[in-house]
Amino acid sequence: MNKSILFLLSILIVAVLALAGCGNDAKNDAKNNANGEASDKALVYATSKDINDMNPHLYAGSIPAQGMVFESLVENTKDGIKPSLAESWDISEDGKTYTFHLRQGVVFHDGAPFDAEAAKLNIDAVQANASKHAWIKLSTKIVSVDVVDTYTIKLALSEPYYPTLLELAMTRPYAFLSPRDFKNGGTKDGVIGYHGTGPYQLAEHQAEQYATFTSNEHYWNGAPKIKRITAKVLPAGETTFLALQKGEVNFIFTDDRGADSIDVASMTQLTDSGDYRLVRSEPMNTKMLAANSGSANSPIRERAVREAIWYSVDRETIGRDIFGGTEKPADALFSPNVNYADIELPKRAYDPEKAATMLTDAGWIAGKDGEVRTKNGVKLNLKLYYDANSPSQKTQAEFIQSTVGEIGVGLALVGEASASIASRRASGDYDLLFNQTWGLAYDPLSTIAAFTSEAAYLHTTEGMANAQDLYAKIDAVTVSADETARRSLYGEILKSVHDEAVFIPLTHGNVTVVAPRDLQGIAFKQTQYELPFEQMYFE
Amino acid sequence: MLHYIGNRLLIAVPLLVAVSFVAFLLSSLSPSDPAEVVLHAQGVPGITEGLIAETRAALGMDRPLLMRYGDWLLSAVRFDFGDSYITGKPVWSLLGPAFLHTLTLTLVSAAVIMALSVVLGVVCALHEGKPTDRAVRGLAFLLTAMPPYWLAALLVWFFSVKLDLLPTNGMDDGYRSFILPVAVLAIGYAGIYFRNIRSAMLGNLNEDYVLYGRASGLPERKITLRILRNSLQVAVSVFGMAVPIILGSTVVVENLFAWPGLGTLSVKSILSRDFPIIQAYVLVLAVAFVAFNTLSDIVNAALNPKLRRER
Repeated sequence: MNKSILFLLSILIVAVLALAGCGNDAKNDAKNNANGEASDKALVYATSKDINDMNPHLYAGSIPAQGMVFESLVENTKDGIKPSLAESWDISEDGKTYTFHLRQGVVFHDGAPFDAEAAKLNIDAVQANASKHAWIKLSTKIVSVDVVDTYTIKLALSEPYYPTLLELAMTRPYAFLSPRDFKNGGTKDGVIGYHGTGPYQLAEHQAEQYATFTSNEHYWNGAPKIKRITAKVLPAGETTFLALQKGEVNFIFTDDRGADSIDVASMTQLTDSGDYRLVRSEPMNTKMLAANSGSANSPIRERAVREAIWYSVDRETIGRDIFGGTEKPADALFSPNVNYADIELPKRAYDPEKAATMLTDAGWIAGKDGEVRTKNGVKLNLKLYYDANSPSQKTQAEFIQSTVGEIGVGLALVGEASASIASRRASGDYDLLFNQTWGLAYDPLSTIAAFTSEAAYLHTTEGMANAQDLYAKIDAVTVSADETARRSLYGEILKSVHDEAVFIPLTHGNVTVVAPRDLQGIAFKQTQYELPFEQMYFE
Repeated sequence: MLHYIGNRLLIAVPLLVAVSFVAFLLSSLSPSDPAEVVLHAQGVPGITEGLIAETRAALGMDRPLLMRYGDWLLSAVRFDFGDSYITGKPVWSLLGPAFLHTLTLTLVSAAVIMALSVVLGVVCALHEGKPTDRAVRGLAFLLTAMPPYWLAALLVWFFSVKLDLLPTNGMDDGYRSFILPVAVLAIGYAGIYFRNIRSAMLGNLNEDYVLYGRASGLPERKITLRILRNSLQVAVSVFGMAVPIILGSTVVVENLFAWPGLGTLSVKSILSRDFPIIQAYVLVLAVAFVAFNTLSDIVNAALNPKLRRER
């Protein structure tokens, strides 16, 4: 009996060792970099999330990865809309027909030609799943896509819609996938491959481990210099830091939630070592607290309470001490470099005394020694929800809790997963929560469109005194064809949410890149979600 | 013996059915609408009432709970746990590899834990109260008290970054990938389990058969072997206990070493409320617990005939 047990045990151990030996042979690119020539150096970036389902017509995939592989008809740049897969376009007099002249000779990564037929199939595939794209208003305006000739398509809209080109420029959903990858003639039930026209193609994907992208040597805009980019999944920031020190990973950037995987002190340590350098973009978005003005019972529905909180948030200190000076304090919902946002708005600088006076004037009676204020027996208690995965949000929440506490506002902090915060925003079950605007390429259009969306900021805006008026202006601004009228409508919209203090701005977020010292050509796009990897090269 | 095995297996069945029901209920207990959770999980930026209703119907959530449970259980028996909300891939295609990765890590660690526990336990028992015993126990106490998170960071910093000997993370470097995560797991658990072996040995030292052996002039080496054999039962139980416990608690180590296993997958699924994966995870873990407990009972029964006669 004993012998058989020993035998079983030894078989088990041998099996275990054999399994252990079956590790993947994938070599770590960054590790080989040390001896390699500049031209065969690779980028290995750390990401906390897998690239996931890359289907460009849906939203589960990693945006930076989708941005490398897929392209749109046009591109949103600092200097406005520029050609991408469409070389030029004409807009009809009535603003309802867009004719795109496609770039010739472009092929998908699988060799299929990109032509009018492929473009039509893609746009039709997006439209076939319209309910998923309700946020992008263009999806509700497209009537038909027609093939004019091999390289010309015509987009017919139900009414003139000025953001058409802006929305076509977004990473998704109007990006182009080889029709050979379609399933059941479309993309809503999934796709069988991820062949785009972009500078990189997906070469290998080990779910939850890594994804490797290789350069597209037939890229229409010239093959990228960096031939290999690997996205390595590292869930813990500590690991990322150690892997960067060892060189197993050599690149990180701010993720789509606006969070950096390592803190400011670690970044400084890396740059001090001489192996890395830090590059920051200009302000990309605004991080803010959304206040639930539509709440039925909470004190937050009072404008005076919202304004008092705004006055009692010390944004200078948040930017300087919590973000180590890397983020600048924000005075309004949008930074002045955002389209249409360069307008004069009254500043509400840190002023706890003014905040206290406002509360007293609004009938909130101060208690004894730091007790919470009351009004008609109701205590001034509020809840602030933050993303439990973001260390900086937690620190900011604690800091805000202490400063508003001084003026007699009781702020309870609740950390939750980002999905759960999104559900709260949709259901209106919150007083205050951390959020950020959509970013340069989308602002102010998408963030403002989200004011009226139940899934986004409807609860934030619906308690405003002039909410219906605001919604009417938002409807008008997207169909307005006249630039001057549009500018004045945007001005009025921004002024009214500013006056009502429903979005309490904190700081302007940017994209931070930690890259090897000899990596050149680091630039940014008009969106915080993507990087132009194809422009980078090693010296 | 067969009778005993049969009994043990029969007890396991109702237990697993109960666990599966609770696991299935999880999604219905969530405060938010599952259809909405799915859409958030898929990252859809704008969610409308119509879309929610459409999704609810597509997921079959408009049907009664018990019917859904029945269908789910029948498919689950065939390893079909449905599709992940987020990736849309079959759950088993995600959970299967993750389970294998964690199982490999767990079995290697459990083997190391058992070897370390037996060696240390025996050495300490034979030198009871002497400096060796004290030193080993003191060191074990210190190492066990260290949070695994911190211990792992220290080990990685020293062996990977400073000495450049081992990879900092991942599992694509063959056996070298295993050394650090296994070390962290083994240090944590061996420090606890070697005490069981030690006290089992000490208990045996005072048994009559040892006294009798010594009185009959048996060489000390043979007596030690006898004691060891009798103490091994504890080692088997330790192994049986350790495997499922580690299987369910590798999350910290997996997270730090970016090990694509069950721990990472489950935490990610819980945070994003990917219920099909969570349900399958709970079920798989429950099966593993029951299986390893049953297995260790059976091995113990094989080692000790007395146990077999008990009911």
